[in-house]
Amino acid sequence: MSEGWLGTGGGRLRYVETGDGPALVHLAATGELTPAHTLLGRRFRVIVLDTPERGLAPSAVLGGLATLGVERFSLLGSAMTVNTALDVALAAPERVLGLVLESPRSIGAGADLAALGMATCLLCGTLDAEAAPAARRCAALIPNAHLVFVYAAGRTIAHDRPEAFAEVVGDFLERHEAFVISRATTVIHP
Amino acid sequence: MKVSFFETVRYVPPTALPSEWPVASGAYDREAGARAYDAMIERLRYVEQLGFDWVSVSEHHYSPRILSPSPMLAAAFIAARLTRLTIALLGPIVAHSNPVRVAEELAMLDTLARGRLVVGLLRGTANEALTYDLNPQESRERTDEGMELILKAWTEPTPFAWQGRHFQYRQVSIWPRPWQQPHPPTYALGTSREACEFAARHRLGCGVSYGPFEVMAKATRHYREACARHGWEPTPEQIIYRANMIVADTDEDAHAILRAQPNQAPFAMRAGVRDAVATLDARNIAGEKRPTIQAGALPTTFIGSPDTVVEQVRRAREVIGAGVLDLSLHPPGARDLEPLTRALDLFATKVLPRIRDL
Repeated sequence: MSEGWLGTGGGRLRYVETGDGPALVHLAATGELTPAHTLLGRRFRVIVLDTPERGLAPSAVLGGLATLGVERFSLLGSAMTVNTALDVALAAPERVLGLVLESPRSIGAGADLAALGMATCLLCGTLDAEAAPAARRCAALIPNAHLVFVYAAGRTIAHDRPEAFAEVVGDFLERHEAFVISRATTVIHP
Repeated sequence: MKVSFFETVRYVPPTALPSEWPVASGAYDREAGARAYDAMIERLRYVEQLGFDWVSVSEHHYSPRILSPSPMLAAAFIAARLTRLTIALLGPIVAHSNPVRVAEELAMLDTLARGRLVVGLLRGTANEALTYDLNPQESRERTDEGMELILKAWTEPTPFAWQGRHFQYRQVSIWPRPWQQPHPPTYALGTSREACEFAARHRLGCGVSYGPFEVMAKATRHYREACARHGWEPTPEQIIYRANMIVADTDEDAHAILRAQPNQAPFAMRAGVRDAVATLDARNIAGEKRPTIQAGALPTTFIGSPDTVVEQVRRAREVIGAGVLDLSLHPPGARDLEPLTRALDLFATKVLPRIRDL
């Protein structure tokens, strides 16, 4: 694990990171490492950016990541940071390999969802009544969207069900829409 | 008060069978099996004529006692042959089923029956965990999660993945959807705190079975309080009470019939298995521990002359709050069915007209 500050041109952005592999950037409300990040760190280089409540300009995120040497990455936005994640994905579609939106709330009216070309995963906790309507709206507009319900989770899915969260996010970001094909074996006694 | 006839598919064996569960399937007689399903339809035509509102079917395995391992098939067969009775599927054993398949089959059934369907979802009796190799300690959690997934599969318009504890699906999008919208009237069956609270949270009905009125009332009170906490009030029709009833010309006759019935526990397992299961499978009534496995025959809580039974039904309505009675009028597994016909006639002529307006 390491932490530091990214220069963004206009200011600084705190980040922490863990793990090895392709880059996964999480725009997080609090830039702390959680058990879900540690689990995802087994498959990804997880970079957690401390994202202020008012959001971040896409240029700040993209510029800051470039200083870390991160050109292409998967992107995860959670609840209040979903709109920033959408802005980043729309601003630099060639750099965002796959998008995960955890517990989406009100989606910014300006976001041109139909223009999102990358595979997008919409995660809703079954105890979170607010997420499903926003996620359904996204699913209807984003061409390559996948709606996922995480059982017995509320708004903070990664906190409530870290293993379930990390498994589906990791699988989705590795395989994109092909994550619907099971790789689990049912052989009990070979 | 609505009345439901609990149909157990009467398999009448040519010779007496052992009672230990699982019952050796080598003892099965195919002619008796075929007759059981034909006779079920004949009986239900009569039940329908007598004015019952529902017929209920249930899921049990590895035994001739209730010959409907697939209650979906029983219900579809009934739906195709009867036109008025509502079919109460009480219920698929969620704990050991594929919940998406259950949602699909029930939606299909609801469509075939044009909405003559009500559904109860349950965990199953303790022996059923052994049917498909399910860990008894996980059966409660699997039931809760499975029920939630069934409701989601019925109602979610967008294809979805389910990332559960016990179930995982990457794509669910069922066709057909239920005929009744958003879904058929649905009950979480059982007296447990978990079932009552699930029902309250999802605005479902609740179904309790066999126990004495005061004991069942603990569960339905818990259910109603939980509903109030969730901001709604169930109707009487959202509470089902399944019970044994012996109605005869006189109280003495009814008690004589009960005395003649064997005090045999349903689905009795070998002692070592029964005791081991009992340590793993915890059951409760509104949070109070109850024995996992029934020791003797299930209690008969309605018993006596028509006058006596009418009074008992009035009390059950008051104490339990049930608006639906799901009645077993003759022990499942009995080889002589003539008493069932007599009980049906007596109930339909002397009891049913007097409990309708309760």
